[in-house]
Amino acid sequence: MTQTVDVGERSSQLDSSGAMDASTSATHRRAKVRTFAFTFGIAFTLLYTVLERLNWPLFTYQPAAGKLYFWLRRPVSGEGPPMYWYGWIVNAAIAAFTVAWIATIISGSWLRRATVFCCALAALWPAALAGLRIYITDWATFDADFLNSVWVAAPPAFVGAAVITFMCRPNWRNARGQAGC
Amino acid sequence: MSLIFSVIREDTFWSILLFIHFLMAVALLAAVTLQAASVLTSARQAAGNFIDRFSPVPAASYATVIILLYLPQALLGAWMYLKYRLYVRIPMEQLRHWWTLGAFEFKEHIIAMGIGLLPAYWYLWRQPLSDEDTGLRRWLTVFLAVTVWYAFGAGHVANDFRGIGS
Repeated sequence: MTQTVDVGERSSQLDSSGAMDASTSATHRRAKVRTFAFTFGIAFTLLYTVLERLNWPLFTYQPAAGKLYFWLRRPVSGEGPPMYWYGWIVNAAIAAFTVAWIATIISGSWLRRATVFCCALAALWPAALAGLRIYITDWATFDADFLNSVWVAAPPAFVGAAVITFMCRPNWRNARGQAGC
Repeated sequence: MSLIFSVIREDTFWSILLFIHFLMAVALLAAVTLQAASVLTSARQAAGNFIDRFSPVPAASYATVIILLYLPQALLGAWMYLKYRLYVRIPMEQLRHWWTLGAFEFKEHIIAMGIGLLPAYWYLWRQPLSDEDTGLRRWLTVFLAVTVWYAFGAGHVANDFRGIGS
């Protein structure tokens, strides 16, 4: 991913020099394809896992009844078993395509920031949820079960990820090509 | 579909599809195994013995074949998955074959991830091959080989439960 960003930046610098010949254009296009392919692969696998865990399919197919429903439809008596797998794949593919497309249009520094933010968020969100659950079971002196939610854990995780991303920023300016944080 | 079923019986049609799925799986298995073996042994070839130096086909030439087999194979599997969900998985649940069922569920996930990584795989094997991506290319190829081997094994077990001939 870092290599992808570096190639993208190199080609951006070549663009700004004004001498946009055929080989520069090919390098630039290759860098974009590289960014798209790698980002799509990483985003698809992660998003597929998350969507499968949360059970968020784009659609539900009922093969016995031959019916298609938007989003999640729980099993209904008489309609047979529902199928979510197609819905997870399509949902993950659309989301990963969007992420990969955004990665090709933003600058290398913003792509680095987004990568650090997403990695920090991926670590902090489950950690915040685990912390809340420990608090609920071991520390709370009142009925704190309403805190046992992924959405309650989201705000501190987002704030923490934003802080980590902000703190990593100076390193990108000073040490290009080296590990950020 | 009704036109096809007027010519051949429905169960015969699905058995033929399952057999084509098997044949494509064998071809894909051969291609990914040879390519994975090639990328894993390439580092040893320079200083190795006769067997280490043996490499009949360059690894890059398999990449297009693997993509052209992987995607249609996954789509064919996804189509046949409809029948699996109705006529195989339900008896599996009733007979409490949880390990077989779980192994097949994992196959669905690992193949989905393999599809998602195909664009990166295609890019990494594009000519001219980039030296800086050698490690990435090697491990992505090995991962795809693992997905195909796992899918083949899990599919074979599911077929033994209720497939061709049952």
